[in-house]
Amino acid sequence: MATPEGQGQEAGAYPEPAIEAQPHLPTGKELGEASRFAYTALCGMSLAWLFPDPEQSSFRTEFVESLVKWLELSETVLPSMVAFANGLGGEEEATFAEILLKDPVLKNDPMVIIQDLLAFSLRNGCYDARARVLVCHVTWLLKIPPEELENLEEMFLESLKERQEEESEAAETSRKKRENRKKWKRYLLIGLATVGGGTAIGLTGGLAAPFMAAGAAAIIGTTGAAALGSVAGIAVITSLFGAAGAGLTGYKMKKRVGAIEEFEFLPLTDGKQLHITIAITGWLCSGKYGMFTTPWATMARSSEQYCLAWESKYLMELGSALETLLNGLVNMMAQEALKYTILSGILTALTWPTSLLAVANVIDNPWGVCLRRSAEVGKHLAHVLLSRQQGRRPVTLIGFSLGARVIYFCLQEMAQEKDCQGIIEDVVLLGAPVEGEAKYWKPFTKVVSGKIINGYSRGDWLLSFVYRTSSVQLKVAGLQPVNLDDRRMVNMDLSSVVSVGSPFPGALEEEGKDCQMQTRACSFSHSNLPLLESGCFLVLSAEGDPQDTQTQREPSLPPRSLPCSGQGDK
Amino acid sequence: MDEDVLTTLKILIIGESGVGKSSLLLRFTDDTFDPELAATIGVDFKVKTISVDGNKAKLAIWDTAGQERFRTLTPSYYRGAQGVILVYDVTRRDTFVKLDNWLNELETYCTRNDIVKMLVGNKIDKENREVDRNEGLKFARKHSMLFIEASAKTCDGVQCAFEELVEKIIQTPGLWESENQNKGVRLSHREESHGGACGGYCSML
Repeated sequence: MATPEGQGQEAGAYPEPAIEAQPHLPTGKELGEASRFAYTALCGMSLAWLFPDPEQSSFRTEFVESLVKWLELSETVLPSMVAFANGLGGEEEATFAEILLKDPVLKNDPMVIIQDLLAFSLRNGCYDARARVLVCHVTWLLKIPPEELENLEEMFLESLKERQEEESEAAETSRKKRENRKKWKRYLLIGLATVGGGTAIGLTGGLAAPFMAAGAAAIIGTTGAAALGSVAGIAVITSLFGAAGAGLTGYKMKKRVGAIEEFEFLPLTDGKQLHITIAITGWLCSGKYGMFTTPWATMARSSEQYCLAWESKYLMELGSALETLLNGLVNMMAQEALKYTILSGILTALTWPTSLLAVANVIDNPWGVCLRRSAEVGKHLAHVLLSRQQGRRPVTLIGFSLGARVIYFCLQEMAQEKDCQGIIEDVVLLGAPVEGEAKYWKPFTKVVSGKIINGYSRGDWLLSFVYRTSSVQLKVAGLQPVNLDDRRMVNMDLSSVVSVGSPFPGALEEEGKDCQMQTRACSFSHSNLPLLESGCFLVLSAEGDPQDTQTQREPSLPPRSLPCSGQGDK
Repeated sequence: MDEDVLTTLKILIIGESGVGKSSLLLRFTDDTFDPELAATIGVDFKVKTISVDGNKAKLAIWDTAGQERFRTLTPSYYRGAQGVILVYDVTRRDTFVKLDNWLNELETYCTRNDIVKMLVGNKIDKENREVDRNEGLKFARKHSMLFIEASAKTCDGVQCAFEELVEKIIQTPGLWESENQNKGVRLSHREESHGGACGGYCSML
């Protein structure tokens, strides 16, 4: 695959953008041998830590082997690199990272490594989720702010787009101006110079996938390992952005699948990015939150985000049932009783206030319907993702309430498939009405490359209530941590952030109800992983009255024996 | 993993450039000799199972590059090593003199103080010897190391060097037993290593 000479020829055929005069940033293989060794070792060791599972061993080995070739390191280092990738080298990533940071060629600019690793990861037109997790990890090890990686990814894309503009004089000058602004873009454009005029491909509208292909070839040309400017190469790169440029929004359910009536992706953002996020709404209700997209307005996980619209009819029914329940039917007495039981931590299926149980039928039916449908939708989503409708890019899934349940079943379905690895980057489940026993979550580690985040709220009485009869499960993920021993699993106690139940008059206002069930708006103020890791994961509980939230935030809730269902008495 | 293997030991080979570290390893693992062996890049890794006193031990041998340009990388391999083979060339006195530096480095980066050290004087098949056997022996005694003279070319003493080292490691209580159980607790251990502390390899159990 590696045909470095191809790059040379094409450079000759298309020497236009005179960038040579500008300061030259080294590519990965221009680093010293010791640095290249450290770079590969760093990746190898990181892989060993990130993906220790035996089923990932071929991925690890292949990755380092290709990286050795990519960096033109001598083959004699292969045994030690493979050993590193299999965890035999210990955990010296930090040491290697420091060695790299001291490299004189890098001149304290470790972005060179990230850029190179990114180019390497994209070389086959497939941005594997595991590769992205690795890139993120290495970015972190090299103490580079995650936003820079995000920028870099965007710049990769931008430079692809620019390739498409006709090389008119005007465009040329303006582009050159822009080049000067960002040294990285300039660096990428060096690659563009190496792409032959023969790759001039018309814009096809939409995502312009073929064009992307030409541009990506350019980038790859930069490091000279693969000249993908050929037709075959274009076909390969096309895969990165979804079949024929249509992508997710172009996805239409061909026929009614099972019991699913509605399944559609709505774009949340205009941008394009090398990784995408799909948000899944848990329920709808009248007013502002009648739209699938509303809760995600402030989310900025990726500049390319979608929202899954599914079964709005039933979600709306559920929403209005919740509304009814909270607005009128639950009388003051029940609220007082709830407050008491929640605070004292004795809330169990048996202690539900009778007044609440009396109105249970309002909610139980739509809830049951949505539980079933969410599972179906999850399975369908799994197959959409497996068929790579989104392109060969990492996907992050985020959902609350029944949306989290969709994700749960999506992961479950994917875990049964053979080629399920490297598609999902992170998943975030907020207030998920699903089984919280760790053994059910174990298979997800195979599917998810990055983090599995379970945001739970111990005092979410509504979730405990509606889930009380749904099954005999004793643990609900949305109410307590999932005790899965894996680096991916992150449990987040949102009890203090999410305004729970808030069965107080103030919270029963029009807006207040929105935060009853779970989080409405998830604001990732920054779109990065370490931020999530460090717990700065910010969940805004809509417009819930802060004071009421405050009173609810009692730490006296029991740690484990939480009320979830069980012996549902009606 | 092999059932009958008692333990896996991490062995490190260090020494100046060109003293024959890789040749010794190649002779030991593959029983071959290549006079034109290229300089090692970074580090080489080989696994070999040997049997000492009826105990089978799997050796994970890290053969480091002696060249100056790779010197920055060496500290990364020391951690967790149970045995180290320090090689010098008997026909080049400078490689013997530099041993002190290597011992210093070992002291600095090695995470355990009971690591077993073996000094190997290589290339004894050559005529122009510059370092006397007694000198080597004296130096080894002074720093409480095992000592042997060897030749990767003629196969002299190579097997013996590794065997004695392993024997000594197995005889040293606490040096290798804990290592087996350490695998499960990597995560917690890891935190420390990221802090940049070099003494992070304390036993966890």
